[in-house]
Amino acid sequence: MSVIAPDFRLSGFIRSILDNAFWALLLANLVGIPAIMMVLFYIEMPVINGELLTPFLAFTWLADPSRILPIVHAFMATDLFRVMAFPGFGFAALIAAGTIFVERKLLAKLQLRVGPFYCGKIEGILQLMGDGLKLISKEIIIPAKADKPIFWVAPVIFVATAAAFVALIPVAPGWVVADVDLGLIAVFAVIGFFPIITILSAWSANSKFPFIGGIRALFQMVSFEIPLILSLLGVVILTGTLNLSEIAASQSVFPWIIFLPVGAVVFFTTMLAELERIPFDLPEAESEIVAGWLTEFSGMMYGLVQLGTYLKLYAFAALFVVLFLGGWHGPMVVPPFPEEILTEGIVMGPVTAKIPGLPLFTQEMLNGTLWFVLKTVGVIFFILLPRGVFPRIRIDMLLNLGWSKLIGLAFVNIFIALGLLYAGVLGPGGMLPQ
Amino acid sequence: MADPVFVVLAVVTVGSAIAALELRSLVYGSIALMGTLGGIAGFFLLLDATFVALFQLAVYVGSIAVLILFTVMLVKRELIFKKIEDKRRKFAGVALMLVTMVALGAIFIDSGIKDITTDEPPVDFREIGSDFVTYYWPALILMGLILAGSVTGALVLARREDIEENGQRTS
Repeated sequence: MSVIAPDFRLSGFIRSILDNAFWALLLANLVGIPAIMMVLFYIEMPVINGELLTPFLAFTWLADPSRILPIVHAFMATDLFRVMAFPGFGFAALIAAGTIFVERKLLAKLQLRVGPFYCGKIEGILQLMGDGLKLISKEIIIPAKADKPIFWVAPVIFVATAAAFVALIPVAPGWVVADVDLGLIAVFAVIGFFPIITILSAWSANSKFPFIGGIRALFQMVSFEIPLILSLLGVVILTGTLNLSEIAASQSVFPWIIFLPVGAVVFFTTMLAELERIPFDLPEAESEIVAGWLTEFSGMMYGLVQLGTYLKLYAFAALFVVLFLGGWHGPMVVPPFPEEILTEGIVMGPVTAKIPGLPLFTQEMLNGTLWFVLKTVGVIFFILLPRGVFPRIRIDMLLNLGWSKLIGLAFVNIFIALGLLYAGVLGPGGMLPQ
Repeated sequence: MADPVFVVLAVVTVGSAIAALELRSLVYGSIALMGTLGGIAGFFLLLDATFVALFQLAVYVGSIAVLILFTVMLVKRELIFKKIEDKRRKFAGVALMLVTMVALGAIFIDSGIKDITTDEPPVDFREIGSDFVTYYWPALILMGLILAGSVTGALVLARREDIEENGQRTS
């Protein structure tokens, strides 16, 4: 049996930890806190409880839990919070990370394997963290004859484009990073960037497997964009708007999938192709062309591409929910915030804690987010499911499907929508309420 | 005083246009072309024409530029381009460009476009849409027919009979 660290001494380990803690504290006092003060001085601080929040007040209030909540409230109203945390990147990355783990475990269960098992005590739940640490610590190898600028930049732009897509998705009423009036067109514009990045990164690796994968990805994405756009026009015709928030809000009574099932099926199929999921995973066909356009990526560059792929998966699933499954609408299941905490405070024996600014989120927002996440997770499950069931199809079958069958079905969907509109069933002034 | 955003966009657009023509690497040239087309989308955004700007991104950057990239990557450039290194041609080209630009600029300045001041809101894309299907409908249908005809023609031209005779799929 081999010993990993033969010179290990517990006393030395503890001493090194204490040493690090000493230096961290010293540097925080000498450099960190003055730097934070200087930065805070230039940031426009909010007015809370009638007084301007200065850096000194901020530091003293951090020690008082009853005064943190107004600061948190003020922070949650900023754009930074929306971009970084809730409807934006952090929320989407959390769902993406969960998707990666669930996908591995689900596939294993479908194929009667165990999947990730040893990392973490329960069902390999720490596997994802281990994989992330491995990717970060790995060396990044650039092929000698690669086109270096493009090769370095491509994964970063890929993640950035996927994040831009995520930013357009409304999660709850009023909770959206970029509430664009022409949201759906913006989605088409953002989707158009993915093939460019794919083909450029594939070309820049200067290797034949990435290039073949990139060409396949280009064929697939460009030809499936057309049925993708056409299949969403039915919803636009019936709602009369391109704003994603308004489209989601228009489905308070019934979701559009009831009247436009053809469009939903076409959109779901094209979504699988745009995401390069099995059965359309020709660009990454691992049994034919190593790993397709990802072959030459190593270390964290591969990790970035993977993060971008799963962000894109979340964004497409969320788009399906917003357009066809009613967005955040659902029965009110979140209980209202207890009134007595607002009026009397929390009574714990002899101590009564009165906390100002307590309902951190409104009931509608929590309920909307809950339903949105439930529906999105359901759609993601149906995106993952074919991977355990279907084989990969040939490229000519793929293109045939996209150009002749899906485009035709998308037109059928448009005619259904127009028929419903002109028959006076749906749309502005229709029989059914919206 | 010009708008700094306008100046930056102008520099990006014109600079990447020159780069698209002058760069030796065809792939970098087509990336620069994407920069030009994106810069024009930025101009449309400045003009409050979000609809046109997003379509400029979706169609020109998303499809046309991809098509150009694809063509560049599939074709070996030694086969289709002969290098002609000629100083006189280059200077003649630059001089011709300058003459054209000065002439066009003089026409624009002379046309009185600088004197137009208006407070009207930008035209809504819904109005453009309803104009297209009411007043301009013959032009719309003519355009649709021409496009359909050219797509059919392209399909006919792209058909390969030698493959079909062997019983293989052509799609």
